[in-house]
Amino acid sequence: MSSVTQLVQQLIEIGQSKQINSIEAYASQVQELEVEVSDAQVENLQKAAETGVGVRVLHNARLGFAYTTDLSSEGLTKLVQEALENSSIVPTDQYYSLAQPQPYEELELLDRESWDTVSIEEKIALAKGIETAAKAYDRRVSKVRMARFSEQMYQVALANSYGLTASYAGTGYSASVLAIAQEGENTETGWGFNFSHRLAELNPEQVGVEAGQRSVAMLGARTVSSQKADIILDPAIGAEFLGVIAPALTGDAIQKGKSLFFDKLGQTVASSIVNISDDGRKLAGAAAAPVDDEGVPTGETPLIVNGVLQGFLHNIYTARKAGVAPTGNGLRSSFRGRPESSPSNFYLLPGNKPAAEIIAGVQRGLYVTSVMGMHTANPISGDFSLGASGLWVENGEFAYPVRGVAIAGNIVDFLKSMVEIGSDLKFLGSYGSPTIRVAGISISG
Amino acid sequence: MDWTEATLRNILTKALENGGDFADVFIENRQTLRLVREGERLDKVNSGTDRGAGVRVVANGSTAYAYTNDLTETGLLEVAQVVAKAVEDGSSTAVEALTKRDNQVEINPVIDPRQVELTQKADLLAKADQVARAVDSRVAQVTVFYRESVQDVLIANSRGYWAEDSRTRLALGLMVVAKDGEIMQTAYESLGGATGFELLTEESVVEMARKAASAAVRMLTAQPAPAGRMPVVMAAEAGGTMVHEACGHGLEADLVQKGVSVYAGKIGQQVAAKGVTVIDDATLPNHYGSYRFDDEGEPAQKKVLIEDGILKGYMYDLITAAKDGVTPTGNGRRESYHHRPIPRMSNTFIAPGPDRTEEIIADTDTGLYVTKMGGGEVNTATGDFVFEVAQGFLIRDGQVTEPVRGATLTGNGPETLKLIDRIGSDLGFTIGTCGKSGQGAPVCDAQPTIRITELVVGGIAAGEAGEEA
Repeated sequence: MSSVTQLVQQLIEIGQSKQINSIEAYASQVQELEVEVSDAQVENLQKAAETGVGVRVLHNARLGFAYTTDLSSEGLTKLVQEALENSSIVPTDQYYSLAQPQPYEELELLDRESWDTVSIEEKIALAKGIETAAKAYDRRVSKVRMARFSEQMYQVALANSYGLTASYAGTGYSASVLAIAQEGENTETGWGFNFSHRLAELNPEQVGVEAGQRSVAMLGARTVSSQKADIILDPAIGAEFLGVIAPALTGDAIQKGKSLFFDKLGQTVASSIVNISDDGRKLAGAAAAPVDDEGVPTGETPLIVNGVLQGFLHNIYTARKAGVAPTGNGLRSSFRGRPESSPSNFYLLPGNKPAAEIIAGVQRGLYVTSVMGMHTANPISGDFSLGASGLWVENGEFAYPVRGVAIAGNIVDFLKSMVEIGSDLKFLGSYGSPTIRVAGISISG
Repeated sequence: MDWTEATLRNILTKALENGGDFADVFIENRQTLRLVREGERLDKVNSGTDRGAGVRVVANGSTAYAYTNDLTETGLLEVAQVVAKAVEDGSSTAVEALTKRDNQVEINPVIDPRQVELTQKADLLAKADQVARAVDSRVAQVTVFYRESVQDVLIANSRGYWAEDSRTRLALGLMVVAKDGEIMQTAYESLGGATGFELLTEESVVEMARKAASAAVRMLTAQPAPAGRMPVVMAAEAGGTMVHEACGHGLEADLVQKGVSVYAGKIGQQVAAKGVTVIDDATLPNHYGSYRFDDEGEPAQKKVLIEDGILKGYMYDLITAAKDGVTPTGNGRRESYHHRPIPRMSNTFIAPGPDRTEEIIADTDTGLYVTKMGGGEVNTATGDFVFEVAQGFLIRDGQVTEPVRGATLTGNGPETLKLIDRIGSDLGFTIGTCGKSGQGAPVCDAQPTIRITELVVGGIAAGEAGEEA
């Protein structure tokens, strides 16, 4: 921890020596290992270490930002100067402020023991286990791609000239794979993915089995004719949808009028069974941290409660502009970016019904296991149209796999048409979703 | 960059101390500036310096890669030691004498963007903003992005290659939101290249701003796109997303060799309609996807991938080329020192053909006319792709009629390429950042006006519920 905490202190001192009243420094150090195996051989092994810093200065109500990986004392001095110069061309803005020091509660994010004691050979064996499990699932799993184990340890430190200091460290372990199933001329693919802050909670074999299952289930897929039908979203696909909704619930998007939720606070925006929250302290999510990247303590922020829009995600700037308290959502993409109002662990709260019961209740619909083009959904108009594949459901049972269809609609209608939410909340990275049933969606074949 | 041959050889020798077939070192120093104008004011100024280096060893088909941002000789020797430890084949490979390679590619930035005042850049963004807003009172928001990057790289490898490149890239983009009551539509235009600040003349920026604003306003009256199978005419100005997704990725040699490309094992076969020629050319002067050397130090090249419908070859980096026993094609690229190089596209396009645009439209009874494509995605194993139509119009009786919104095109790469029945004589480029294996690469895609006899249009005006097929 010492090197990142020393770096931020050094930067604050440089700022003070230049008579800058308000300065904030953020430093992160990341160590990474990634092992990718193919045919039981290590295909790629990557090891990395990187430390970088970002500085914000608030000078005459103008905010400037710059970053660097040049940690020499000349590099750091140049960085503060650059941030100051960048502040000179932006307009003044009374809403900018740095965080006041506040107490925060630590989070158990660090699995130091696994990091220190598990050997590289054991980690390679974990990666091989993913591939073996995928291949062993079914003889039709003919190839496996990107069987990967990766681990990361990060140390973050933050300080500002108001006396704030914060620091934390964490680990992240993940396993992922793409299984390819073949039968005759037909080729289908299936993904598996798992993340945990603790190595013991990672289940690499399960990731292989899931990918195998998904790929084999799609063999013999065909298209269906254009129609309106219910769709049931697998939790992984639900999480992808939440990934489109989340940016529209940020203070920045609302204040710039770039959100489909603009002007909708207090209104019904989803069916009454829908509850969406953001929680930076949820350990199941990859974005867990005790403080956000400005130093504001994290916590649960209810956004949609029983279908009614209750609030937005704020950093200090958007909160001041809106006249509310910051929600601990001032997050940086890395030391290279400024803290923007952004989702941390963003999730749809689970309902009571097991997923199997939801599917059993569907007369005719598409159980969606894969979508393409989610990033093309329009966050302002809410329109989306996606390539989709999955399993056709008839009279409560899976009838046959479906591929090459498009599902289309609007996020607003989509949220209002959610008729059932499963009890099986699952996080995929920092987005969490249970199984969701949505009524009457356009399917084009 | 200030590195001596002796130091570079020391690093490579250290990397190969436990054996290995090959080692290389990639050293980078990049300065980036990004400006965002939004809400009629300069909203963001972000500048930064990224310095770092990566060392790679390849041994028996496996790759070890490590990087650091400690750019001292000691720092690099440490990284070389990390990768050497991952190798255990005991062979001994000598590092050959390093010879600097000569550049053959025409990339000639005139004005170093770092020498241009911040205020001049801010003024240009303001100009674009004002021009777009003046187009129509329904223009509600304008966002203007500017990005400059000057990346100096040094690549040296154990076979004696030593290449240095300085890559200046600029891009300016405009996102316009038009609003009429409850209806909001967006349009995007961008301009960029491997050039200096001379690219961004006031005229070119003004023209781009007008174009984006007019398009957003025009889309306000768009009807929901129809759903189903229909002929699709793609205008040259729509850009090359289709060729990029439908065939480009599947022709990257790593995916081919892993058997996850529908184009694997099809060299010499008909994979597209007659008349379809697909080229990847990293040497096009000053284009956004151009470079002098790739990120493994190979000279940039022009490659014919598909000629008259016949598959001719793939895009290679050093590792995949060695595996296939062919000459590397200079497509080994990486986002930064954080990444090992992989085969990537540069400037990829369908070559122009014989047809006139007006005739292609006139010969189409009904269908969709696409004038701007949005983002896309492909599953290379199945060849299935999807991409969004940012601006589209219905064709009725050979005439372009009303605009439609919310359409996406879904298809299969090889099937779609075989359904191209008309190829125009024009050629339109778009710039973009292509994502693969977590790495972004600046690319350029292009195509002439083409007609595809049938594609699935995923629209929001779906038909009535019917029985399954």
